[in-house]
Amino acid sequence: MLNREISDDTRRVARAAARWLALLESGQASERDHLALQRWRDVHASHEQAWQKIQALRSRFGGLPAELAMASLDRPDQGRRRMLKGMLGFAALAPAAWLVSRELPIDAWRADLATRVGERQRLTLADGSVLDINTDSALNFDAGARRLTLLRGEVALKVAGSAPFVIETSQGRATLGAGEVCVRQQGDSCQFSVLGGSLQLQASAYQTQVLQAGQRVTLRAGRIQSTQSFDTAALGWRDGVLMANDQPLGDFLRELDRYRPGILRWSPALESLRVTGSFRLADTDQILDLLAASLPVEVHKRTRYWVTLVPREKTA
Amino acid sequence: MGSLAVSSEQAFHNLYREHRSWLEQWLSRRMGNGWDAADLSQDAFMRVLAGSQSISELQEPRAYLKTIGKRLLINLYKRRSLEQAYVDALAQLPQACAPSPEERWLVLETLQALDELLDGLPHVVRRAFLLSQLEGLGYRDIAERLGVSERSVKRYMVQAYEHCLLVELC
Repeated sequence: MLNREISDDTRRVARAAARWLALLESGQASERDHLALQRWRDVHASHEQAWQKIQALRSRFGGLPAELAMASLDRPDQGRRRMLKGMLGFAALAPAAWLVSRELPIDAWRADLATRVGERQRLTLADGSVLDINTDSALNFDAGARRLTLLRGEVALKVAGSAPFVIETSQGRATLGAGEVCVRQQGDSCQFSVLGGSLQLQASAYQTQVLQAGQRVTLRAGRIQSTQSFDTAALGWRDGVLMANDQPLGDFLRELDRYRPGILRWSPALESLRVTGSFRLADTDQILDLLAASLPVEVHKRTRYWVTLVPREKTA
Repeated sequence: MGSLAVSSEQAFHNLYREHRSWLEQWLSRRMGNGWDAADLSQDAFMRVLAGSQSISELQEPRAYLKTIGKRLLINLYKRRSLEQAYVDALAQLPQACAPSPEERWLVLETLQALDELLDGLPHVVRRAFLLSQLEGLGYRDIAERLGVSERSVKRYMVQAYEHCLLVELC
């Protein structure tokens, strides 16, 4: 959009540069034309500047995948017309699903309980058991049958009383008596981290294992992939805190991304910087500001929902 | 200068206080989504703040805000329709050719900038320009593709280059 007033002079120069370029591209330029163009460029700095700009413009289109770019930029514009006339059909234009979340929200429909990106919920049952639901999660929950099916995301369950809880995931099922477990389902893998008590785990491929407090198991393709110990501080999300202890920035940002609606991107050069600290999840914008204050990174906010981190340029 | 004059900062605060929730509702009705509407209404006030219009002299503040709101709605609509076209095009690609998620963003970001750059050009001009820049077609081929004369293609290209250059120079 052209906000500022454009001087007649600027217009004249722009027009001339455009004509020169089109003449060259048409293949009809003679030797004399080339010489005349050179003279035009030499006669004034603004001419040369315009000429450089118009050349740079061409290179902006150069690196794009032609097919994708053509389909997108040359899209049929009926929608646009209709929009301009009556502002109709706006509600139908939600952002593309993968813009908001990398998964289709289909499983959320089946769920009894769901949290949006950035949202957390805590439920306390009559017997004192506590269920925490982390960001962007969906689950079926039957307190009477003491059964929980995690469809997506992450929950922490603290079971009080003697009746065990059954936790189902796409990769396997676990039974927990009095104790505490955190379950995270992401893509085609699933993780059980036991915080207290003991957990009986049955992978879909019929492997079983008993896990004790402090152990974490990763399941993939219905099989137990690995068992390891873990740092309970990493589950700070239940208290609304994101903890990092000398963590690679890339890993930290992938975690942070789960809590932020919209797009968070960063330059690969930043992956291996180190982060330490505990950050309040209630204000992820502030977390980004803190990163910018403590690390050599710059935070570019195109909009609240489109944030890019790049290495800070050294000032001379 | 007179004692009745309100500072422009004060005028902005008054405008914001009196009309923000109204604007948000107005946008929300058009978008069916309060979340986006709140965001857009913030944008609208930022535009007011950055604009050259003197706030204390506004006769019809709501009409003014509506105009800005409409413009922002149209921009948002264009961005979304571009995203949609892009997602559809991605889905058409064979799996092996599909770019990585990281590349998808980079390309989309570039496309969005170019879409804005080309905004306002007549459709045929835009298409001629894209055929030349993206597919590398010569003017004769473009003329054939569009069923117009080569002279017309050259005229379209001048128009497109001039338009882009003016956006860049301003």
